[in-house]
Amino acid sequence: MNFIRGVIGGQPAGAQPSGVETIQKLCDRVASSTLLEDRRDAVRALKSLSKKYRMEVGTQAMEHLIRILQTDRSDSEILGYALDTLYNIICNDEDEEQDESEDAAAPVSGKTKSVSAPEDTQRKQDDIGSQFTERFIQEPENVTLLLSLLEEFDFHVRWPGVKLLTALLKCQCTQLQGVILVSPMGVSRLMDLLADSREVIRNDGLLLLQQLTKGNAAIQKIVAFENAFERLLDIMAEEGSSDGGIVVEDCLLLLLTLLKNNSSNQNFFKEGSYIQRMKPWFEVGDDNSGWSAQKVTNLHLMLQLVRVLVSPVNSPGATASCQKTMFQCGLLQQLCTILMATGVPADILTETINTVSEVIRGSQVNQDYFASVNAPSNPPRPAIVVLLMSMVNERQPFVLRCAVLYCFQCFLYKNQKGQSEIVATLLPSTIDANSISAGQLLCGGLFSADSLSNWCAAVALGHALQDNLTQKEQLLRVQLATSLGKPPVSLLQQCTNILSQGDKLSRRGSRVQARVGLLMLLCTWMSNCPIAVTHFLHNQDNVPFLTAQISENLGEDERLVQGLCALLLGICIYYNDNSLENYTREKLKQLVEKRIGKENFVEKLGFITKHELYSRAAQKPQPTFSTPEHMLFDHEFTRLVKELEGIITKAVHKSSEEEKKEEEVKKSLEQHDSIVTQYKELIREQDVQLNELKDQVALLTAHQEQMQTTITQQLSQIQQHKDQYNILKLKLGKDGVVSGQAEEAHENGLQLEEFTLLRDELEELRRQHAQLQTQVTEKDTLITSLKTEGLRPVEGSGIASGPTELLKEVEALREQVQNQEVEIANLHSDRQELQRRADTVVSSAVSVGEAGSVSQVAELESRLSAQTAETHRLQEELRGLSEVKAALEKELASATSTVAILQAEKSRLQQDVSESKKEQDDLLMLLADQDQKILTLKHKLKDLGEMVEDEDDLDARDPSEEDEEEEEDDDE
Amino acid sequence: FVAFYILQYYITVILKFASVGKSCLLLQFTDKRFQPVHDLTIGVEFGARMITIDGKQIKLQIWDTAGQESFRSITRSYYRGAAGALLVYDITRRDTFNHLTTWLEDARQHSNSNMVIMLIGNKSDLESRREVKKEEGEAFAREHGLIFMETSAKTASNVEEAFINTAKEIYEKIQEGVFDINNEANGIKIGPQHAATNSSLAGGQGGQQAGGGCC
Ligand SMILES: Nc1nc2c(ncn2[C@@H]2O[C@H](COP(=O)(O)OP(=O)(O)OP(=O)(O)O)[C@@H](O)[C@H]2O)c(=O)[nH]1
Ligand SMILES: [Mg+2]
Repeated sequence: MNFIRGVIGGQPAGAQPSGVETIQKLCDRVASSTLLEDRRDAVRALKSLSKKYRMEVGTQAMEHLIRILQTDRSDSEILGYALDTLYNIICNDEDEEQDESEDAAAPVSGKTKSVSAPEDTQRKQDDIGSQFTERFIQEPENVTLLLSLLEEFDFHVRWPGVKLLTALLKCQCTQLQGVILVSPMGVSRLMDLLADSREVIRNDGLLLLQQLTKGNAAIQKIVAFENAFERLLDIMAEEGSSDGGIVVEDCLLLLLTLLKNNSSNQNFFKEGSYIQRMKPWFEVGDDNSGWSAQKVTNLHLMLQLVRVLVSPVNSPGATASCQKTMFQCGLLQQLCTILMATGVPADILTETINTVSEVIRGSQVNQDYFASVNAPSNPPRPAIVVLLMSMVNERQPFVLRCAVLYCFQCFLYKNQKGQSEIVATLLPSTIDANSISAGQLLCGGLFSADSLSNWCAAVALGHALQDNLTQKEQLLRVQLATSLGKPPVSLLQQCTNILSQGDKLSRRGSRVQARVGLLMLLCTWMSNCPIAVTHFLHNQDNVPFLTAQISENLGEDERLVQGLCALLLGICIYYNDNSLENYTREKLKQLVEKRIGKENFVEKLGFITKHELYSRAAQKPQPTFSTPEHMLFDHEFTRLVKELEGIITKAVHKSSEEEKKEEEVKKSLEQHDSIVTQYKELIREQDVQLNELKDQVALLTAHQEQMQTTITQQLSQIQQHKDQYNILKLKLGKDGVVSGQAEEAHENGLQLEEFTLLRDELEELRRQHAQLQTQVTEKDTLITSLKTEGLRPVEGSGIASGPTELLKEVEALREQVQNQEVEIANLHSDRQELQRRADTVVSSAVSVGEAGSVSQVAELESRLSAQTAETHRLQEELRGLSEVKAALEKELASATSTVAILQAEKSRLQQDVSESKKEQDDLLMLLADQDQKILTLKHKLKDLGEMVEDEDDLDARDPSEEDEEEEEDDDE
Repeated sequence: FVAFYILQYYITVILKFASVGKSCLLLQFTDKRFQPVHDLTIGVEFGARMITIDGKQIKLQIWDTAGQESFRSITRSYYRGAAGALLVYDITRRDTFNHLTTWLEDARQHSNSNMVIMLIGNKSDLESRREVKKEEGEAFAREHGLIFMETSAKTASNVEEAFINTAKEIYEKIQEGVFDINNEANGIKIGPQHAATNSSLAGGQGGQQAGGGCC
């Protein structure tokens, strides 16, 4: 090493003959000597000359050195010298060499501190390095050779090999990357360097990988596949995380290269749960352990790494899932702690704000969390308020104020809740006079004497209104008390007042900046909000002010203001609801034509997008400006301009007739649309109706069926009753002798056995009755003949008209049932038809959905009216059916009552039967009495000396009683 | 303290031929959707999904490689360090089937010898355009000791099974001790995750003992 120090020192003074000759000699020795020792000495000598005579050594010795690498694989010393020499001729970084030679004894790391050399010398150096690199990689085998040497474990080979490859990559990155990519396992093997236990190699391996992965997504992915994230995070933890040295910084740089713009690797990083491992990096809190320059650098890179994962340019899904993880693992919370901590260096604070911004942007959960963060002040204030205080504070650094604006913007991005909360702090009803609110700060900023505050506050307020009509309208309610004794002025009017009259303040900063800010706010506010437009137009001074601004011939720096005024006027035209007679759309357009001229207007409008700063702001959401004066455009506003410029140009260019026509077309289109929607609605309704009707029909059918079964049941009951009745009638119709059988009380006559029994009994009774009657008649005649005493004959008459009536009724019921069946069948078919129609209605609804043309609408109309009629008819039918059903129900009720009557009749008949039995008993008694009488009479006759026939079994009976009963039955 | 382990498998989806449906298979597995437009894969793309085998959570980390010949050298880097691979051909294109042998040699040469390989005949929904019989696929798989399955990335038929069965096979090999889990080159990482905390994964080389024990 001392040797090296001796060699360098003087400036390389070009080729001296002696040097060239020496080099030539040495090369010859390297090429021809058979002794290893000899070759080794020669290579060592070449190495010592390689800095001073870089060009010469490179030109003459490269071939020889490469051959050494191929042939002398076994001697690590000569390999080391050769690699060192190659490194010296390829490496461009002279300053580094000096650095390194100074602390060569203990090389901790090969980190390059690029100190800018005079530009032309540097360029020349680069050229030399590139030339030699090109020569070296012309043969891809040389690269493969070098890669294989890196697998050599020997420090003397591996370390210079790593440095050489790094230097080669620095010169010809893309080409070399290509070669390494196609050499088998090339990238994978280089990854093994990170596992080397010798720190120097591991650290230089980091530098090598930084170069290797630069701008090559394929290599980045392979490196990640080879477990780079795990290794790097482990190394960082070993080295002390944010408190670690330059190795941590190198790890972070490599991580950044691997993740930036590489969605596959970002996904892998997230899926590998590495985000969780980032959280401890930010546990720097309040410990005030000091902020070394290295720590600031490390933390900066760490914050950048977080931002890479949630960058607004990533796919929304990827960013959203990383944001979610960052909240779940507490990373966001940790960042907010830094935000509110004391003693954090301003640039770290600024970058933390930017990072928090992107972690919460568009993520409702994270935004809600952020809104809940309080600063540890007394009393605690919301972090948002504390941040806004910095934004409108002139003494704060410019970048910090930009960061706060970005944070506020990200907090409100797609966050309607946040927007309404911010606007609410300005509304009279919700204002809280006791504490400083976001709204107050924004208003204060809007009207402060500092143009930067004006601009920031205007843009911030604009973000609270972005895509949010409700808040645009709410903000119109805000009134400001300007000075004592004067009526309050609306916020909107105050903005325009400042614009038009100029405030009396002696403003710091640029007047243009303040006006641009206010104009952007007004444009955002009034776009897509006709009420705000009307509000603006209501003040007679506003339109003349705008036209004056646009038509005037102002200086260069006022052109942007002119353009914005034109945009604002354009918004007044386009979002005009024609509610103010003096400022209808038409009148405003005439005004533009007369006062400004269409072409002129459009040209002025074009000033906005032609502004040099416009496109830069359009690129990304974060407000970044090189100087405060450049702070003119807001990202969201550029989107609005893009959207409106064409529309307004068209709107102004159009003649009133064209516009009318277009309006008509638009209207008719809208009409068509609304007709179609109406029809769709109608169809939907009818569909619902149809379904209801279908349900009803189904219900009715079920009812019908139920009724049918009831009727059938009752019919059979009636039949039974009829049978019984007939039997009873039959029974009663006969006279008979009383049987000796025991009688039972008939509870119901429904059972067949009972019927048979009853019938048998009745028949028996009738027979007996008849017998008895004949007997009685005989006896009576006998008695009459004997005693000339007359008894009226007893007669039993039938139960006449009842059964025939019943029969008729039953017949009628049957008919009814048949009718009902037919009706049910009709209902069935109706229902099927309904269903079919419903289907066609549905399918036509679908076709309506796709159709947009008038003819289809017409067709639809006719179809619809037909369907409406059909639906009506169906409803009629259903009504009819319901009536029929009611009638049927009535009939059923009457049938039921008939049944009841029949049942009553039956029980009466049964009673009759029992009564007739009693009569028979009585008759028997009578007969017995008469027998007795006859016997006594016989005896008397005998006693009188008359001859009398012997008669058996003579019974007594009261014929009059029986006759009465029979008559009662007849009445029925 | 009940601990369970999260295994991370690296699985590479590969075949020499383009457009056989590798990316679609992965997309169906991770996102449950199908993309009808061919979006040529450049190099490789990463995808991941968590599954449960035997009560253990396993994160499958899957690299979908480009089938185009020009990316061959890049995709080779993903053989080493993969625990499993899905070898996909297209049943409607015989040429994709005919080159299986060459590919298999290539893969075996560059990969860990224990790598689990599943043979997939994709696009089984296109029965009418079938050029390779199912039996042929089965026979090839039997001959070379592979698992076989026909899938459709379009209808999602068997997609779930293909990945999960591969993972199961790897899991069994780990249980049998065939894979050394502490050697990262096998494409398996293991780390404890305590049910109560959200702690990050410990690296495979971080001194974790093998085989689902507890601490
Ligand atoms: N019908 C049908 N089509 C499929 C199926 N899988 C993939 N495809 C289609 O096949 C084409 C190629 O699918 P990719 O997944 O992009 O193919 P790849 O193998 O990733 O192609 P490379 O990335 O170029 O190697 C696409 O158009 C898919 O829509 C399937 O199961 N059924
Ligand atoms: Mg693909």
